[in-house]
Amino acid sequence: MAPAAQFEAAQPPKDAISSLVFAPGPSRRLLASSWDKNVYLYEVSNGAEEANLVGTFEHRAPVLDVCFGADENEAFIAGMDHQVKRIDLASGEQTTVGKHSAPVRCVVYSAQHSLLISASWDSTLQVHSTTNASQQPLTIPLPGKPHALAASPSKLVVAMTARLVHVYDLPTLASAASSGSNNNNPPQPWQQRESSLKFLTRAVACMPNDAGYSTSSIEGRVAVEWFEDSAESQARKYAFKCHRQAAPEDEGGGDIVYPVNALAFHPLYGTFASGGGDGTVALWDAEAKRRMRQYQKFPESVAALSFSGDGRFLAIAVCPGFETGMEDYSGEGRTKIFIRELGETEAKGKGAK
Amino acid sequence: MGKKKRGHPDVEELLSRPWCYYCERDFEDLKLLISHQKAKHFKCDRCGKRLNTAGGLSVHMNQVHKENLTSVENALPNRQGLEIEIFGMEGVPEDIIQQHNQRIIQNFYTAQAERQAATGNPPRGLSGGQGPAKKLKYETPEELKKRLAEHRANVAAQKAAGITGAPVAAAPADGQSPAQANPPYSAPQPGYPYPAPGAAPPYPAAQGYPPTAGAFPPGSTPLPARPPSGSAGAAPYFYNGGAPSTVDELVANAARQGGPGGDDIDHMIRMAEAGIRPGAGKVGGAEEAGAGGGAGEKRKKGTRMVYGDTEVSPEEKMAMLPRYRWVEGTA
Repeated sequence: MAPAAQFEAAQPPKDAISSLVFAPGPSRRLLASSWDKNVYLYEVSNGAEEANLVGTFEHRAPVLDVCFGADENEAFIAGMDHQVKRIDLASGEQTTVGKHSAPVRCVVYSAQHSLLISASWDSTLQVHSTTNASQQPLTIPLPGKPHALAASPSKLVVAMTARLVHVYDLPTLASAASSGSNNNNPPQPWQQRESSLKFLTRAVACMPNDAGYSTSSIEGRVAVEWFEDSAESQARKYAFKCHRQAAPEDEGGGDIVYPVNALAFHPLYGTFASGGGDGTVALWDAEAKRRMRQYQKFPESVAALSFSGDGRFLAIAVCPGFETGMEDYSGEGRTKIFIRELGETEAKGKGAK
Repeated sequence: MGKKKRGHPDVEELLSRPWCYYCERDFEDLKLLISHQKAKHFKCDRCGKRLNTAGGLSVHMNQVHKENLTSVENALPNRQGLEIEIFGMEGVPEDIIQQHNQRIIQNFYTAQAERQAATGNPPRGLSGGQGPAKKLKYETPEELKKRLAEHRANVAAQKAAGITGAPVAAAPADGQSPAQANPPYSAPQPGYPYPAPGAAPPYPAAQGYPPTAGAFPPGSTPLPARPPSGSAGAAPYFYNGGAPSTVDELVANAARQGGPGGDDIDHMIRMAEAGIRPGAGKVGGAEEAGAGGGAGEKRKKGTRMVYGDTEVSPEEKMAMLPRYRWVEGTA
């Protein structure tokens, strides 16, 4: 039988997880950023079904996002304290690489272009060239607050309030960033789109083959669309409902609709996983428009998802979801990280039908 | 029996139909039952594989998905257990078979009584000169046959007494307004499988089931009170008046919960049945759902979003909480 096992990471973060990401390539390192102001580094052990805490890196404020840099020893974090920092995971050394005027929501690293992009609630993007640290970051004003950010090999997708979606061309950003700061004339988006979803965008993920991306919203829905601007490609885009539950009849029936908090594409097969406030993770075949799997419910809302670079593991961050009307919130003691080792064909799609 | 059947299957036919232990549905033949069970009760919700038995599904879930199966899907509340190995009609416990047969028989005679009331035709057995209940030979207890014979006699007596008098007498006796005394459904339908509460003495089959009062959603037709079980004269007019026998209720509820989604295969089976057996199956099914839930699937349902702010993200709200708030200059 193909392996398919699930296990829990030891020593999970002490409060809600904001982001979870596997290192690129064959590495089995996994970073989790938490509202408890720490970044946690885990490593999935070889053979045994366990993931151990390798180190923690303390920040002075909650960490809203984390990503790996050029290799498994470099990480970047987005801080509530408006800072973007680089962490050397080997030495633990932390350096500030950028500063916004509001909390930084997302960071994304593009290995192809050696660019670090940060998005902040001050409605700007900053593009940092990591090859030349002395270079001033390029600042790009946005028409709305960014909520999600994702990079494909050549594109950068920014999802903002008011259902705005901007797609930037990464080579253009790279040349603008290296040609010296020209903040008076920032590069324009390659495409400006309106979200296919009617509600606030929750997550964005790009297809590893550079063809398109998917977005999810707070209203239990996921959309898949393609970059190419031809009528034919645009006609292919679609959206579907998911992460909903039928309400009990005695509460009036209908559906309880959960936000879709996380999306992650499989690095090899072009299928993707979605994680929702209902505590479930589903695997979808983007081409065939089919659900391939839905895993057993997790005890809390799914906050973040990440596939490992080789596609063998799927990490799932679970913590209580923030719901309308909550006046207080704590993820303490209820935050967990699950790692699922996928069977050989578990995430492989059947192809378009 | 020599007589033409007027499209109503006789009780032997009904009793010989294979039926599903998990949801009490009956089917034209065993093949359909088995494919129903594979589609509705033994289908893996992870990969869609259809197994032959609940035990098979449990092993599959364990080995392939490393998960544990705890209950059979789409089953009636007290039949979700994995302990009983069911395949088609094999493995159904004897007492459950008895319960099922009693239910079928009761439904049959109720429907027959209704037809007679509606058409004014005399009962087949009496006019044809056949001894009542003589030909019945299946697993039903002797006692039950006797009871049915009595019931027939009752109906006949009621006929003789004149049918119009009974409801007029019965309705005021129950203290109901004339409007309530009217049957809630326009006309009794041939082939209608609903039991008439009070038409037959209560039978032990019901004992195993929890009372399901309040299972009807608000907004459905207010149901008149159940007449006391002695007033057999009123029975045809109150066939929908009281709570249906509990097994029926469970089945009706289950049908409602099936919702608009309904499995394809199941639908196909229903369609096939409707074709083979026009009238009884289809009309019965539709009425069942209608009576139980006020056409649940037609109702426009509201949705509730657990997070509804379309401008401000959950993270921004969390960032405002004292627990996480960042103020420049601290730390």
